[in-house]
Amino acid sequence: MPLTVVSLGRVLNMLKPIENFIRYVINETVDKAITRAIRDQYTENLYEMIPATRKVGVTNLMEIVMRANQGTPVSRPLGSPLHLSPWEKILFNPVHLFRLPTPENVGIRTSTSIGHRARKPMTLSIPIMIAAMSFGGALSKSTKIALAKAASAAGTATNTGEAGLVEEEREAAQLLIGQYNRGGWMNTPDKYNRLDAIEIQLGQGAQGSTPQRTTSKNIGEDFREVFGLKEGEDALIHSRLPGVNSKDDFIQLVRRLRDETGVPIGLKIAATHHLEKELQIAVEADVDFVTLDGAEGGTHGGSPTLQDDVGLPTLFAITRATEFFERKGVFRDINLIATGGLVTPGQMLKAIALGADGVYIGTAAIMALVSEQMVKAVPFEPPTSLVVYTGKLTDKLDIDLSAMNLVRYLNACVMEMEQVAMTLGKTALTDISKSDLCTIDPFIAKASGIQLGYVAPENQDRFFEETKPLFHPYEDQAEEQQTNLH
Amino acid sequence: MDKYHDLKNTLSYIHSELNRVETMAGTLSAIERDHYNKLTNFDHRELVDIAVEEQNAARQLGTMKHMCLAMAEKIEGIKNAIDRGELGESAQHAETH
Repeated sequence: MPLTVVSLGRVLNMLKPIENFIRYVINETVDKAITRAIRDQYTENLYEMIPATRKVGVTNLMEIVMRANQGTPVSRPLGSPLHLSPWEKILFNPVHLFRLPTPENVGIRTSTSIGHRARKPMTLSIPIMIAAMSFGGALSKSTKIALAKAASAAGTATNTGEAGLVEEEREAAQLLIGQYNRGGWMNTPDKYNRLDAIEIQLGQGAQGSTPQRTTSKNIGEDFREVFGLKEGEDALIHSRLPGVNSKDDFIQLVRRLRDETGVPIGLKIAATHHLEKELQIAVEADVDFVTLDGAEGGTHGGSPTLQDDVGLPTLFAITRATEFFERKGVFRDINLIATGGLVTPGQMLKAIALGADGVYIGTAAIMALVSEQMVKAVPFEPPTSLVVYTGKLTDKLDIDLSAMNLVRYLNACVMEMEQVAMTLGKTALTDISKSDLCTIDPFIAKASGIQLGYVAPENQDRFFEETKPLFHPYEDQAEEQQTNLH
Repeated sequence: MDKYHDLKNTLSYIHSELNRVETMAGTLSAIERDHYNKLTNFDHRELVDIAVEEQNAARQLGTMKHMCLAMAEKIEGIKNAIDRGELGESAQHAETH
């Protein structure tokens, strides 16, 4: 032992000159860099990159150079980094005396039912579902199987995305929602008759209703098999659903699918300012559910312009849709599924409180699924290379570990939601409503009907009456826009 | 009305069994929740994973309880329709369309 200590001391003494040399080099280099930064003219100064990058933003700077390099729209994974829904300005209100909190021995009901008017409604044990992320177009088969396994363990549903029917996914999923899609890959009875709910996909938050193409070089044999493609053929998602060129075509399609299958039939669209006009057709078609994908919705890869500059934020999509369904007398008859940028249990529960019967999560589910295994990818590859179809490390993903991580995540999320339900004095997540919320933003209060936290419930009207002059400029703007629309 | 006598008996049987299943699911759900609380007292990763599975089972049993309740209500509705003599009418109506 003493011999080892002596040897270590000698080695450290030998390293001392090297350490001193490194310190000298660093000192000289930093001194020179600082001196140059001070003396050089700004236009010749490397420091100009700092304000320039701050001006355009790091992400925008990188996307400028990527566009300059590729000459085609860049494909940004996982959706917009912008936070457009002000979830943080809405808060839940615990109770103490006037209404009592829920006793701890009472179980909180977490189940929700989709399509209660259908012949075969779909009942979920938790209100969180796995969002539409397709095999091939987005994810690897292992990832789809892991998502399905986790969803089944948690008693919820997973979604096929715009793809054909993957046998392994069908086998692993207790409840599978399939997208009747614009590529046409799920649109035959042999496939859609094997689903537990059908979602007619006409758009998504991160892409709108734009067409998409997966080039044949990114399509493997398993992809071709599921999608029914020939070798060398691209996978094309059209902007319109084949066979649906009018409102009546859509209504007929909903009726036909309902009669043939008996499962809940839904419509999925990107949320937009035309929301009520779109929903009116959904009401006429008598769909069982509507999925609204807000502007913050994720994607495997899409152009930044479609992600950042198109659509309506999820929060306002929910409040507007709920109000519309209430006005039409179909609230809870047509279920609302909210999705797009929901990453915390608080946001998910707020979506439910505002009228959603359930939520889809995509990005958060993928992050939870990869979590422990990201060490297999970083620092030389991004964690997504473990899960996306074209990723370099998909064969390294451990399906069971991924599924378990996601199960733990879903459990933690639902338990956090249950905690909120208890402090609100509720016994079911779906009993939580707008009356359990307040907002700290007068505009959100005005727009959504959530009470303003600044003043007591009995003073809400007085507050808005007294501050009316402050809202006038915006009211004038709204009237002007309304006139332009008509 | 007599031709529906057997059907009514069968529906009564299903209704009563559904009530039993509902009660059993509720009890088991409470037990599973209790297991979750007990198992998370141990600082052991595998036990925590089992606890999470117990919690999932508790929720699914809770869901079964509510599914049973919904089905029992539907069966009650069919029984009432038979009593009001509406079942034959609606069947005839369905045949003509």
